[in-house]
Amino acid sequence: MTPAAPTLHLPRRTGRHHATSESPLVRRLLIGVALAFLSLFLFVPLISVFTQALAKGIGFYAHTIMDPMTVSAIKLTLIAAAIAVPLNCVFGVCAAWTIAKFDFRGKNILLTLIDLPFSVSPVISGLIYVLVFGAQGWLGLYLNADHAKFPWLANWLNDHDIKIIFALPGIVLATIFVTFPFVARELIPLMQAQGRNEEEAARVLGASGWQTFWRVTVPNIKWGLLYGVILCNARAMGEFGAVSVVSGKIRGQTNTLPLHIEALYDDYNFTGAFAVASLLALLALVTLGLKLWVEHNHAALNDAQISSP
Amino acid sequence: MSVEVKNVTKKFGSFMALDRVSLKVESGELVALLGPSGSGKTTLLRTIAGLEFPDPGDAQVLFYGEDVTAIPASERKAGFAFQHYALFGHLSVFENIAFGLRVRPKATRPPEPDIRARVAKLLQLIQLEPLAQRFPSQLSGGQRQRVALARALAVEPKVLLLDEPFGALDAKVRKDLRRWLRQLHEEIHITTLFVTHDQEEALEVADRVAILRNGRVEQIGTPEEIYDHPASPFVYDFLGNVNLFSGRVKDGAVVIGGTSFATPETSGERDADAIAFVRPHDVRLTREPGAQTTFAARIVRCNAAGPVANLELERVHDGGPFAAQLSKEEFQLLQPKAGEQMFVELKKLKVFPEDYSI
Repeated sequence: MTPAAPTLHLPRRTGRHHATSESPLVRRLLIGVALAFLSLFLFVPLISVFTQALAKGIGFYAHTIMDPMTVSAIKLTLIAAAIAVPLNCVFGVCAAWTIAKFDFRGKNILLTLIDLPFSVSPVISGLIYVLVFGAQGWLGLYLNADHAKFPWLANWLNDHDIKIIFALPGIVLATIFVTFPFVARELIPLMQAQGRNEEEAARVLGASGWQTFWRVTVPNIKWGLLYGVILCNARAMGEFGAVSVVSGKIRGQTNTLPLHIEALYDDYNFTGAFAVASLLALLALVTLGLKLWVEHNHAALNDAQISSP
Repeated sequence: MSVEVKNVTKKFGSFMALDRVSLKVESGELVALLGPSGSGKTTLLRTIAGLEFPDPGDAQVLFYGEDVTAIPASERKAGFAFQHYALFGHLSVFENIAFGLRVRPKATRPPEPDIRARVAKLLQLIQLEPLAQRFPSQLSGGQRQRVALARALAVEPKVLLLDEPFGALDAKVRKDLRRWLRQLHEEIHITTLFVTHDQEEALEVADRVAILRNGRVEQIGTPEEIYDHPASPFVYDFLGNVNLFSGRVKDGAVVIGGTSFATPETSGERDADAIAFVRPHDVRLTREPGAQTTFAARIVRCNAAGPVANLELERVHDGGPFAAQLSKEEFQLLQPKAGEQMFVELKKLKVFPEDYSI
């Protein structure tokens, strides 16, 4: 008979037990609360947008989307975004470059001003443009004045019938104002973290300012820039408040997608409103997808830079 | 034929980074700018590169006699290696090195085969040929520093400027790279200035060392001159490895704790407080008070690991601590023990009257 093998009493393994982990009950409860909240405020509305949109069948959905008024709203929204986003992209890069790479007086004031559109209600920004460019605003007073200064400018504006408020320029201006912090805000911390060393290295190696920008700065910020552009674009296409004040809401002429949705809704055409709304909802989903993709790439790049000694 | 700065002053706000600094580096020389942080050494290097401009005045930066004070960095033809390398993360090692050639205007840009040949040669020089297609994030610190050097050398600079080239590396790599830099300099003989706060590094690598303090050049000379004849208490102290005794100068001697040491070089000095510097290897220990002037001290700790034995001692009369260094043979002959009392003889003593300050 062999003696019984001595048994080792190892401490029972109770799963992963870290100092910071909670008991299973608390964990499930927290996850449950978060999921319930998300479903109530995000998933349910999102699903209801699409079910409502298709409530009268795919035929009605297609009819609403193909309607000339809707097509015009889509076109106007795309045009406004196509002008506002590139301009804000340029502006954002300039502002971020200035703030991150140079020291000057009033830097903090500039930084605060960039945030202004986030802190001001969009309706107010729309009103500002009406007051400045509207028929009763400064521009209107100037054009109607008996002896306007720079008569050639007044004549030129009158002759070409340049309108800003209740026209495309106003919509574009309002959109630019509301969306201009996105790119700049995204790039400033990134550029500040990167510092000036690589640019200085390029300069010492004989690169001109322009070469330094395109060959060193842009490759370093491209993911952040793309991220900012995506957010800026989403906001530009979805902006309601500021655009609603300056657009005049002329159907088929100055209605953007969000304004068109409101108009359909006001006509008690709920299914139509939801059909158009589903387009914006789709845009949001595409934006989220792109955002995830960019974040993934960006993070991979950062990891590679950090993980190496 | 040299790189020269004259009367360069640079203020950042109220902080005086450089205070009328003048310095001349002969062609082909390897000079170290040595000083504590805030002494202005990096600012001086950046001023030479054109990354900082001196405050208006009679300041001048000359490359081989040509005044480049107002010329921007991109046209100075200086090679600069940054402390944290500043390699272009989105370009391969090869393209990093080729950058300076590729950004040249068409008229002066070498044809593609020439660029490839030059980069290949530099890769060979830094012994990183197999890693040409890697990205900087895939290299070790020492490899990155070598790529940064090759990138600076690719444009055939008139002067090579290195900012703390080994500062961010661990001790072993540091030593290897230091030796490699010295060899490289022997091969290509390019006028080189490098910034360091490590006195050992400066003394080992450089032909000449300039010691900076508070924006001024405190002393410049060969490593031997600097080590053997420090011009001021600051230099003595900064080079480290030194004992400090306060005493009084009197009649060509210095009195330290009641013991008088003859110091002929102070014979002209009036009666004043003084600081005497003695390097640990100039301290001799005996069991009996000898013919030379000695004072009593107690051994606190012995450490015989390494090529020399390091001893910590305490003066008996005032408890002041100091260090001694003995060769292994001396140590074995003497067999000192902690707690034991010994007599101390100072072989070489450098005295600075008190009005100098550290």
